[in-house]
Amino acid sequence: MEILGLAIVVVLILVAATFVVRFLLLKQPADYRKGFVSKQLSSNTISALLKTTTECSNLDMTELLRDCAQSRSITCDNGKDSCGFAEGTAKYIFSKTLDTWGRSYEFKAYTNDPTQPILKLGNPCKGDIEPSLFLVPILNSGNIYVKLDICN
Amino acid sequence: MKKKSQIQIGETIAVLFVFFILIVIGFVFYLNVVKGNLESEKEDSSEMHSIELAQRVMFLPELQCSDDIVKEKTNCIDILKLKSAEVVMKSSENEIYYYDLLEFSEVSVSQIYPVEPNPLNLNIYSRPTKDYKKILSTNIPVSLYNPADKKYSFGVLNITTYSK
Repeated sequence: MEILGLAIVVVLILVAATFVVRFLLLKQPADYRKGFVSKQLSSNTISALLKTTTECSNLDMTELLRDCAQSRSITCDNGKDSCGFAEGTAKYIFSKTLDTWGRSYEFKAYTNDPTQPILKLGNPCKGDIEPSLFLVPILNSGNIYVKLDICN
Repeated sequence: MKKKSQIQIGETIAVLFVFFILIVIGFVFYLNVVKGNLESEKEDSSEMHSIELAQRVMFLPELQCSDDIVKEKTNCIDILKLKSAEVVMKSSENEIYYYDLLEFSEVSVSQIYPVEPNPLNLNIYSRPTKDYKKILSTNIPVSLYNPADKKYSFGVLNITTYSK
């Protein structure tokens, strides 16, 4: 009889332990900071990048991208056109920030077709991403979409 | 008859002994789980605190760019304000005010682009502590605006928080 009681107690303890493991131990830790940092990183990087005044005739990155998507009439002091200069500037900035901090990313600027970007840096993310999309209006011809995906 | 009763009492004692051992093991296990949860909550709290401090710094009127003094621009630091803020935030008379705001942390701003021989690199608040359990460093890309020539540079705001 006592053995039966002991068996019931053992079963009850096992059930309790299963609940504890299910709800307490296997609970995913909330990573608030990682989410915040990734969100800030992607949106702030694009916003600051687009505002940056470049060494190409003191034009900002937005103006260079606009020219790159339209006439490609700008030639900078180093002989590069707007697309080449914008790409070089973005590459330098990412090498000193995202690459240094070990964050993988994919940066793209495109007009209508995302598969044919005017500017592309980094590699596509394999897992979760923290995307940011900015629009740069072009006079009479739609928008340039500037997209930065930070891989989590 | 007497012997059978003695065996039954022995059995009951053995069962009770095993039962109490199981209760003690369960209690120890429960305490460990609660302790682990408390530590995880403490870690969450220090991470939230680090976010809070980062946001405070990002929206400090002492640093933010402004249009006609009134309208403040987000994600932008005024270089002229920054240079004054360095002096103001490090002065002993404002020490308590900024400690209330930023506690044990370090705030610095560095220019990434354009490449210059002497790029801007300022540590505007520094109050580290040796008595910490965790250091969290947050890098936030920002625009650095120079109102003198109306140019924007690309910079990084670094906030290091010390959690006790």
